[in-house]
Amino acid sequence: MVILFAIGLYVVLTKQNLVKKIIGLNIMETAVFGLIVTSGMVTGGSPPLLGQGLEPPYASPIAHALVLTGIVVALSVTALALVLIIRVKAECGSIELDELQVDLQPLEPDQ
Amino acid sequence: MSPNDVFDLLILVLLITCALAIARMKDLAAAVILFSVYSFALCLLWVHRGAPDVAMTEAAVGAGITAVLFFYTLARTGRREK
Amino acid sequence: MRNALALVVVIVLAGLMMAGVSQLPPPGSPDGAVHRHVAAHYIDGGKEAAGAPNLVTAVLLNYRALDTYGEVVVIFAALLAVLAVGLAGHSRGPQRGADELPVSPVVDLVIRLLAPFIALFALFMILEGHVLPGGGFQGGVVLGALMILLGLVLGPRRLRRMLPTPALFWTRSVALLAFALVAVAGLALAGWLFALPEQYWLRELIIVGLELAIGIGAAFALVGFYLSLEADRHR
Repeated sequence: MVILFAIGLYVVLTKQNLVKKIIGLNIMETAVFGLIVTSGMVTGGSPPLLGQGLEPPYASPIAHALVLTGIVVALSVTALALVLIIRVKAECGSIELDELQVDLQPLEPDQ
Repeated sequence: MSPNDVFDLLILVLLITCALAIARMKDLAAAVILFSVYSFALCLLWVHRGAPDVAMTEAAVGAGITAVLFFYTLARTGRREK
Repeated sequence: MRNALALVVVIVLAGLMMAGVSQLPPPGSPDGAVHRHVAAHYIDGGKEAAGAPNLVTAVLLNYRALDTYGEVVVIFAALLAVLAVGLAGHSRGPQRGADELPVSPVVDLVIRLLAPFIALFALFMILEGHVLPGGGFQGGVVLGALMILLGLVLGPRRLRRMLPTPALFWTRSVALLAFALVAVAGLALAGWLFALPEQYWLRELIIVGLELAIGIGAAFALVGFYLSLEADRHR
């Protein structure tokens, strides 16, 4: 999981493409979710569903609920970021970060 | 090593391979498809760790909706990374 | 140069995190701290207290309902932001006729054939989410994915015609409103937020209602994301 987090962080830090950065961010998020779910698991245990004939010990439902909320927030963040990227592309003509810094200046006065 | 551990290890190797491939991929559409593969592998891992709810969410969100949103963005911004 | 620097930073950070993770108690033991604290209590009493044998749903919609309310607010806020960003500074005239992407007839037929079954499965996930794995959000995402698929096949303009603006407005807000209603009703009737009534069937009914509201809210939030990106594409 740490390796996945490190790869995601590397992508976020080094790639100039904004879409690539968002993919990297998603990888980082899944790495954290993986850590949380793993902390809640029980070796040989069953999912926390009562009344299905599953035997205890059950995995911790709290970790799962936390991760569910996290996934939803990650999706919201991704959607917002993608729409912002589309706007950046429409306004500045590029989604490469190193090109943006050059192009951004002349746009300022007339905006 | 029990069969469970082997399964875990295989999925982890697959995940790391996918993540590295995403990091190296210049074609963003391919990177998004690889991210879907990555999400499905993660989904397997979570079923294996006793979290079917999380697995379902990951399959629907990570492999489905996120990829669609990314593809629409790519249609607007171009699929090549420099 | 910058990449090498970033690599060094990442490796150092990964080393630190690896050291931290190795200090954690080994996962998988049933006596770990994670399983002894409130989790044991939830597993013992969760079904009766929350009206949901699926303990994840019980935790989400009863014990941690306020967190889930926050989650719903986050989706709603993201949707508002997406719509605001999509609309700002651009006049939304009649869209040009270029929207009908050619879809392969195979894809078209398969999606049309599968659509009712996907809808049924989504509904099943929403309504049975308190017993089986699944739940409001998962089912809602499947429903949203179905609508996006239909948008791909039929064209976004027909999808938009099928979903008039007032319907979109209310379906997007329904999750927020339902949560607020349950919270305030609990406050008024029992004295604290998200208090549930004594009868088990009533608890179950409230949980299912909340699931339905979350499902519909999530599905239409996703459709909102999709339509916003789609509209951007045709400007």
